[in-house]
Amino acid sequence: MPDGLRRFARNRMAVLGAIVIAIIVLVSILAPFLYPKGAFSLAGQPLQPPSLQFPLGTDALGRDVAAGVAEGARTSLLIGIAAALSAVIFGAVIGGIAGYYRGTVDIVLMRVTEFFQTIPAFLLAMLLVVILSPSLLSVIIAIAVVSWPGIARLVRGEFVALGGREFILASLGLGASGPRIIFRHLLPNCLSAIITVGSLLVATAILLETGLAFLGLGDPNIMSWGLQISAGRVSLRTAWWVCTFPGIAILLTVLSINLVGDGLNEALNPRLRER
Amino acid sequence: MRRWRYFGYRLLLAVPVIFGILILNFFLIRLAPGDAASVLAGESGAATPEYTELLRQKFGLDRPMPEQFIAYITAALHFDLGFSFRNDSPVLDLILERLGPTLLLMSTAFTMALALGTLLGLLAAVARNTWRDAAISVATLICYATPGFWLGLMLIVVFSLTLGWLPTSGFENIAEGYEGWERVRDIALHLVMPAMALGLFYLALYTRVMRASMLEQTGMDYVVTARAKGQTETRIVFGHMLRNAFLPVLTMAGVQAGNLIGGSIVVETVFGWPGVGTLAFTALQSRDLNLLLGIFFISACIVVAINLIVELLYVLLDPRIQA
Amino acid sequence: MLDFHSVRPGRRALLLASVFGAAAASEAKAQAPTPRRGGTMVMLVHPEPSTLAAYAVSAGNIPPVTTQIYEGLLTYDWDLKPAPLLAKSWEISPDGKTITFRLQEGVTFHNGQPFTSADVQYSFMEIAKKVNPNGPVILAELTSIDTPDPLTAVFNLANPAPYLMVSLSANYIPIICKSVFEGTQPMQNPSANRPIGTGPFKFAEWSRGQFIRLDRNDRYWKPGLPMLNRIIARFIPDASTRSAALEAGEAHYAAYSAVNAADIRRLQANPILDSTTRGYGMTAALTTLEFNTRRPNLAKKEVRQAIAYAIDRQFLVDNVLYGFAKPATGPLSSVFATQGFYTDQVRRFDVPDRIEIANRLMDEAGFPRGADGKRMSLYLEINSFGEQWLRQGEYIKQALAEIGIDLTLRSEDTATWLRRCYTDYDFDINEPFYSAGADPVVGVHRHYVSSAIRRGTTFVNNKDYRNPELDRIMDAATRENDHAKRAELYHQAQQILVEDSPGAWLCEVQYVTIFNKKLHDATGPLGAYQALDKAWLER
Repeated sequence: MPDGLRRFARNRMAVLGAIVIAIIVLVSILAPFLYPKGAFSLAGQPLQPPSLQFPLGTDALGRDVAAGVAEGARTSLLIGIAAALSAVIFGAVIGGIAGYYRGTVDIVLMRVTEFFQTIPAFLLAMLLVVILSPSLLSVIIAIAVVSWPGIARLVRGEFVALGGREFILASLGLGASGPRIIFRHLLPNCLSAIITVGSLLVATAILLETGLAFLGLGDPNIMSWGLQISAGRVSLRTAWWVCTFPGIAILLTVLSINLVGDGLNEALNPRLRER
Repeated sequence: MRRWRYFGYRLLLAVPVIFGILILNFFLIRLAPGDAASVLAGESGAATPEYTELLRQKFGLDRPMPEQFIAYITAALHFDLGFSFRNDSPVLDLILERLGPTLLLMSTAFTMALALGTLLGLLAAVARNTWRDAAISVATLICYATPGFWLGLMLIVVFSLTLGWLPTSGFENIAEGYEGWERVRDIALHLVMPAMALGLFYLALYTRVMRASMLEQTGMDYVVTARAKGQTETRIVFGHMLRNAFLPVLTMAGVQAGNLIGGSIVVETVFGWPGVGTLAFTALQSRDLNLLLGIFFISACIVVAINLIVELLYVLLDPRIQA
Repeated sequence: MLDFHSVRPGRRALLLASVFGAAAASEAKAQAPTPRRGGTMVMLVHPEPSTLAAYAVSAGNIPPVTTQIYEGLLTYDWDLKPAPLLAKSWEISPDGKTITFRLQEGVTFHNGQPFTSADVQYSFMEIAKKVNPNGPVILAELTSIDTPDPLTAVFNLANPAPYLMVSLSANYIPIICKSVFEGTQPMQNPSANRPIGTGPFKFAEWSRGQFIRLDRNDRYWKPGLPMLNRIIARFIPDASTRSAALEAGEAHYAAYSAVNAADIRRLQANPILDSTTRGYGMTAALTTLEFNTRRPNLAKKEVRQAIAYAIDRQFLVDNVLYGFAKPATGPLSSVFATQGFYTDQVRRFDVPDRIEIANRLMDEAGFPRGADGKRMSLYLEINSFGEQWLRQGEYIKQALAEIGIDLTLRSEDTATWLRRCYTDYDFDINEPFYSAGADPVVGVHRHYVSSAIRRGTTFVNNKDYRNPELDRIMDAATRENDHAKRAELYHQAQQILVEDSPGAWLCEVQYVTIFNKKLHDATGPLGAYQALDKAWLER
């Protein structure tokens, strides 16, 4: 691990990405202190361009765009991480079972995984959010449901590749049980791959969330970048700042996550194929 | 011969997949609260319960669930995907009507993204860790992270309103009534911006994959051997590495094909492109269940078809594939 | 417009001199354009209609297209008084129970069939009364139609129906061709999406998702009209893209919801575009809140009044409707002032100390503030028809927070929203918007009279509001032939309703039509809901 960390640190772009993410996380933590009245409160004159008082301007209802960006950071990160985590856990379980037990179980599970990969993901996510009514939870569930197949295939692939390795055969020879092998030997060995792909999943989740909010499928009670963009969309030509700044925030977040992910990939998996 | 057996095997596997989609879709949507009859009635204004009931009967929404399910599966096997109440027309007809523009948009965006992405990825890998590599990486990441609608609108502002080079929206300029080659040219002009808005995201994706794939190839034995034998760098890159590095990109492209449809929803609504994407969006808003099911089904069929084509290309390109 | 020939000769000479003088002074300016026959006009319609069966569906995005194809018995002038169309003239009997229409001669349908009184009878008795959602209201008193000759139709009413004469335009009751519909199910008639009417334009093509094309009717009964060769209705889902199409000159006309309210000022400043607010007189659109009085929190009128006080309607006008609206004072839009029905002598919620009053009312109603400052929690159902309703909801949430109400916004798809609010009655507050139409009977009564409480029917009284006094007044107003007495009844109704506040009335929406300067004579009293027969395009 420390070896990988050193390799990571040498990658300047990855470090830059990590710094940007740290800033974003910091802002999201500080949001309630910087903006105690909340991002939904009507702070000033509507549709004001960026000024000293409102560095990112105000939106159509007079809400502070900067407050929205700060609070939205929390929401987007929360959704991104929660969705990615759920997808990773679920996908790892499925992939692990398939990769370890092989045989019929493997075939069935992989067919199911393939099945879910075939369905147009965004359409399915849209549908799920509508059925479950737009809310924080339904968005997380929807994104997780369309994101797990990639992880499942990755983990399964890793398990299959590792399965023939000596230390696994040795453990089996010594009488170790299935779950023990899975959790003590196989999973830790693919952890780096999972971390890499998982981190990129966070970025994809954030983009999915934006897309859903853009189509009006976000939770209307929680401030998010997607909500800001969809709200500012109609005034894009007259008040560009309302959806541009959240858009830039998304850009920076996704960008930096990708840089970190790339860095992790190079640092932890020098010979791993990118999926 | 064994190659074709493998391909045939993959072809056969497509059948249960499609069947599974039908099953999933049916239950997913039936799970949903609310029904389409009240939506249609609601859009009429102050409709009476009798009117709503009339609609319900007209569209078979009053029959018990198992009956509806069996009826649906049977109909689907006869290529009858049901009737769309909101659009007052058979679902299959509606989708087929709009499939053309979507396929045109998707294939243009896809081809552009794949071709340019491969090229850029190759360039980035060859110029690894130089400023060229970093520039391409950052540019593609920006394309990856920019929301599609924002990009679309910016394109309209720049190329239509400011420069006046391209039309703002739509499939063609119907008012002018072009025919023949003039019409082809007109449609092509309308296609440019939507294809860019849709394709840039995938361009970014394929560039990254190609770059990583190329870098992987660099360490491989055959490359080292070729260099040792004194072959020129260009020949190595374009003659050998390109073909091998391209395969993972192709796989990724196949996997991503399904998402092109999702991405096209946003792009189509921004540009007023009369395709399946806008249809899906309005269908979702109006709870047009049959239409949604139909779109899902057709989309999945398209993805399966694309994956089969990818498999086919794989079989042709990669001599290592066995049954 | 000045009628040259009605002016006396001496003045005429003076006028001529001034005109030529002005012309001489502005030689460099282009001459006033003369109407030109020909050209294709592109109009924006949003959202795309689900059907063109205007006789069976009354959604607001259908008439811009169908009023080019179908015609009604009457049309209306700038004072909203009936004007001849398919009916050349009419007489109403003194008791108001018989209306005799003399029909226009020389009219043929697009399929060549001549237009006769039989078509009128069929359109009203067999189609409108049976499948038009507005039928049960507008035609409630119509018992039969006699057709003594092909050009005369006599309407027999059970009781006088003063609202009937203002609801006979093509967007309410289009005249269809009897031979096309006879013996078929109106809902399944093939002409539903290929309409056949008597209007200036014929249906030519509907390319779903793209456009509807209408071609000139060469046998239109008005001589020399229409001017345009073709009208194309284009569908563009994105609001900003619609504005771009107007700015690029690709579209010539947009009205109602086809116009992006956020862009109106910018479009008005555009040199190639012009705008007008005229033509919406018969729409009377009102944004409202509906309170479910079954709920204990909303059962007391003090609470409902408090909510009405808490909302700053001017803020909504300025920031949700971009200034294109007027604060509403009650259930009747001020548009009805021309008929004398409107009054603002009701309880006013826009007083300077409204927040204090609101807080006091909440205390009086028995809902004191808790330790966290909150008095009660409520849900607001967000209208699923567009973005601005979410903005409005967000503002209302902030406004009600000031008086201690914790509001949660609930945004759902249309079907669930309608079911929740009009069938299951599982809501607290709803925020619909209504077009009252030309007469309160058509679009206002059904929200407040207890006879309109019908589970499962959308956009009627879902508040469980039952006030016998109000019912009596509304009932009387439906049958009252004397205009002054009717106005008085409506004044009383408004006072009662505002006092009881079963709903809150927010803004009167002012629509704006945006059109290209090269398009002329496209504005009429019915705006986008009337035929563009006189409209013409410069080169």
